[in-house]
Amino acid sequence: MNIAIRIDDLNFAHPGGSVPALERVSLTISTGESVALLGPSGAGKTTLLALLDGRLQGWRGRVSVLGAPLDPDQPPPRASRPDTGFVFQEFALVERSTVLRNVLNGRLGRMAPLRALLGSPTPHDLDIARTALTDCGIADLAERRVDSLSGGQRQRVAIARCLAQEPRLILADEPVSNLDPTRAGEVLALLTGAAQARGATALFSSHQPDLARRFAQRIIGMRDGRIAFDVPTSELNDDATAELYREVEPLPGLSLRAVS
Amino acid sequence: MQFGGFGGFVTSALIAGAILWSFATTDVELSRLVSAGPRIADFLGRMFPPDPTVMAEIRKGSAETLRIAILGSLGAVILSIPLAILASETMVSPAVFRPIRTLLAFIRAIPLILVAMLMVGAVGLGPLPGIIAVAFHATGMLAKFYAEAIDGVSRAPIAALESAGAGPLVRLRYAIWPQMAPVVARDTIFRFELNLRESLILGIVGAGGIGFYIQTYVRSFQYDKAASVTMAVVAMVIAIEAINVALRRRFT
Repeated sequence: MNIAIRIDDLNFAHPGGSVPALERVSLTISTGESVALLGPSGAGKTTLLALLDGRLQGWRGRVSVLGAPLDPDQPPPRASRPDTGFVFQEFALVERSTVLRNVLNGRLGRMAPLRALLGSPTPHDLDIARTALTDCGIADLAERRVDSLSGGQRQRVAIARCLAQEPRLILADEPVSNLDPTRAGEVLALLTGAAQARGATALFSSHQPDLARRFAQRIIGMRDGRIAFDVPTSELNDDATAELYREVEPLPGLSLRAVS
Repeated sequence: MQFGGFGGFVTSALIAGAILWSFATTDVELSRLVSAGPRIADFLGRMFPPDPTVMAEIRKGSAETLRIAILGSLGAVILSIPLAILASETMVSPAVFRPIRTLLAFIRAIPLILVAMLMVGAVGLGPLPGIIAVAFHATGMLAKFYAEAIDGVSRAPIAALESAGAGPLVRLRYAIWPQMAPVVARDTIFRFELNLRESLILGIVGAGGIGFYIQTYVRSFQYDKAASVTMAVVAMVIAIEAINVALRRRFT
């Protein structure tokens, strides 16, 4: 079986931070797996995902993504970045652009630099963008501006942009934390389904154990920057989950939502 | 602001000192103002009624002023685009944006009329020195505004495009530009309004436009004609402001 992600004794502290954000993290994820990162806020999920996306430097340890080792001191070469797609928690869309333009933005790393700059996607690029829109159920929104969309629709645009990138690895940071439970289920089904259909590996973070259980084959629990457990979904027991959230958030997510 | 204690006393003393110094060392004879009453009345009387026969000159001068403002603004926009990128904190390193920002501050510090005088000396009379002066002077402000617009956009979509493998210029075009476009439109219209207002007087130093006629008529004591031109200038400024207000509403 091919290895999508291999992490060996990874340690990282944010610049100026006193406590380590990631401590002695080791794990291996095979190609095609759907894995959930479970844990309370501040467990290190976002940090780990951003690091795998090549956006963090200054860590120690060994990390390789899609067979290529990451350099701890500089971002990965631009040519390799489209292979890793990222779905951001706050969508990270260009609000004043159309849905189609945002999805085409996912193609920019795959286009020749001059073609990307001049903004003339090939029929092939347009084809892939349209397919991603259709797969995400938002083909009818293509010409709408993002600032006129709802949260659920925006998350679908963000996923469509990621799919248009044709990634072999999909990383998603709390992709459904802004959505109500019904929408959350739909969007995660879409994300993991699309990854599977494309033979891509999916790693998403969540602080909702029930959603992780429904959409991942394997669940990695994180707390305080360390891996607390790493089990197939069928073996996840409630005690381990409860332990993960002990004293941090008695009712996961509830206190946060009350504030916002 | 609060003025209390010793600091307040020093501030008050400094302001009073500055005013007294100005009075004492300038030839301000209030008596002259009083005795000038009849002369001012005569002066105003000679401006009235304004001479309507100068419509052709007004039209010609206004058109030239408008052309100076349009071409000067165009020049400023063209100069500002690369300078704004080089003055942006988020696009280049401090070693680049710091000196560029200092340079822009220097450019802003030179009054337009001074630049125009220098340009008249360099390229001769006519609208050309006016256009160059407006372009140069306006770039100091416009490039700074554009740079602030670049730095003011939301960072998340830029990070997303970088993650997707897009280079810096491609990110500028697809993540930064769509976000900053309304700000750029607003700033450019604002600067165009200033350019038009300021170029109305460029003719006084020989740099073209309607100011030339005010200058000519005042120097040759044709106050009724000068009054007509002045009224035309006032009408233009009001019109520019009205158009600008209407345009700005569209871009916010």
